Amino acid sequence: MVMKIETLIRHIKEAYRGIQRNVAMSFASISAVAVTLFVFGIFLIVAFNMRFISNELEKQVAITASIEEGTSEAQVQQLLQNIQADPMQKFAEYVPKEEGLKQMKEQWGDTDFIQDLSEDGSNPLPDVIRVQPKKSDDIEKLAQKIEKLPNIESVDYGEGVTERLLNFSGWVRNLVFLFGLILAVVASFLISNTIKLTIHNRQREIEVMRLVGASNWFIRWPFFFEGAFIGIVGSIFPILFCLLMYQAALSVLNDGATFGVFKLMPMLSLSLYVAGSTLLLGIIIGVLGSIISVRRFLKI
Amino acid sequence: MIEMHDVWKVYPNGVEALRGIDVRIDQGEFVYIVGPSGAGKSSFIKLMYREEKPTHGVVLINGVNVKRVRDWKIPHVRRKIGVVFQDYKLLPKMTAYENVAFAMEAVEAPKRRIKPRVEEVLELVGLLDRKNAYPSQLSGGEQQRVSIARAIVNNPTFIIADEPTGNLDPENSWDIMYLLEEINKRGTTVVMATHNKEIVNTLRQRVIAIEQGVIVRDELGGEYGYED
Ligand SMILES: Nc1ncnc2c1ncn2[C@@H]1O[C@H](COP(=O)(O)OP(=O)(O)OP(=O)(O)O)[C@@H](O)[C@H]1O
Ligand SMILES: [Mg+2]
Repeated sequence: MVMKIETLIRHIKEAYRGIQRNVAMSFASISAVAVTLFVFGIFLIVAFNMRFISNELEKQVAITASIEEGTSEAQVQQLLQNIQADPMQKFAEYVPKEEGLKQMKEQWGDTDFIQDLSEDGSNPLPDVIRVQPKKSDDIEKLAQKIEKLPNIESVDYGEGVTERLLNFSGWVRNLVFLFGLILAVVASFLISNTIKLTIHNRQREIEVMRLVGASNWFIRWPFFFEGAFIGIVGSIFPILFCLLMYQAALSVLNDGATFGVFKLMPMLSLSLYVAGSTLLLGIIIGVLGSIISVRRFLKI
Repeated sequence: MIEMHDVWKVYPNGVEALRGIDVRIDQGEFVYIVGPSGAGKSSFIKLMYREEKPTHGVVLINGVNVKRVRDWKIPHVRRKIGVVFQDYKLLPKMTAYENVAFAMEAVEAPKRRIKPRVEEVLELVGLLDRKNAYPSQLSGGEQQRVSIARAIVNNPTFIIADEPTGNLDPENSWDIMYLLEEINKRGTTVVMATHNKEIVNTLRQRVIAIEQGVIVRDELGGEYGYED
């Protein structure tokens, strides 16, 4: 179905006229949409960050296998080859204790604690082999396998932390979905009431349009635009609020002590996600409201 | 052409408004529908512009069965029909010009054609000089002329009017009748339900009389035939 620009402009004007004519109701439904989307936005931020953090964690998931002291260079190479032959691993490398210390210094800075560790030039760290699994789910099995290999003193991996976080974020996502859905339905009904008023106000115009043979879509379009308009206007404030709050949270958290793994999602990518989904949801809620009232109250 | 074959209209409350109507109205005819109050004239008119569907029987508008036609096609059937009512149904917040132009905009007529065509029909109904007046600033007769201008602006093949002079004094009624006669002379079929004895008996045309949902008389150049 092709719509002429002329007709499109007319429908948008009509939609705007509808909003103007019952300012109070329009304001009420714009506010309802705004509240809904604000809650939605906050949940969205939380959910996106959960995902982001767990993805980051997943990337860092690794098994650290300590090698018994006194193992020969050849035995270490043999061990490394054994591990690399395992189909569950993605990457395995030998990290001698000197390298380990260097990495530690890089990660934690040259703090007193690190200074103390190697004050006398000695190095208390063991030589290790670091192994990344292909799938983070396999980490436990892989670790148990490696532990049984000869010359391995112990294995170490972030037991369960990632799993729990992943579970939690999945759970939060479902909750967001449910909560968002309920709020969206409520807001849609408010919008449908606003549009019902517009339909009521235009009863005579609609009647004349029908009589002269306006197409059904020609009569319906302005109401869809009105709903979408309410949705769009209702999404502006929540988007701004959420992003400003997030900016504030970011500057507080990231300026303070940096806990390596708990870095929040950067502003730019998050704002695109949040603004995009919030706007989209606003439009969906608005159009849904229009559909409800057009179906119920617009007799064509 | 309008054809009805054994048409019944039974409203949901059980009232049988039309009971077995058979009629044929050809292109270019001028027809009065007469009959006592409650006889079924408005129901007959409503079937013609597809405001109501027949409960039983067939209504053909230019060969199209209005009962079978898909909902989205009904607007196209209606574009062939201009409707005029006793109460004008003008939009109060629009001027005479805008009311007429509205009918063209609603069928998505090209913008450049709207102004010349609207002015042409306003000229025809004799209201070009009042085109910027609002309905509240016009007399009943003038309002009815605007509504006729609106009905013909999209070049329908029929004009269907339900008591178009019902709210008007004799002088204004005659103006409306001369206008409808003029429109009919230009080739448009006119069907009007009326209670106006003087008009029917003076401006002789085909008369279809309905009583209790049945056509009791159908004659060319007939009389009104009732005392009211
Ligand atoms: N929508 C409706 N629902 C139920 N009954 C209706 C409806 N419209 C009309 N009727 C009934 O159908 C019958 C015919 O009505 P209609 O309006 O067609 O008569 P009419 O000839 O136009 O009368 P009038 O001269 O008073 O305008 C009447 O008994 C009326 O009460
Ligand atoms: Mg009637």
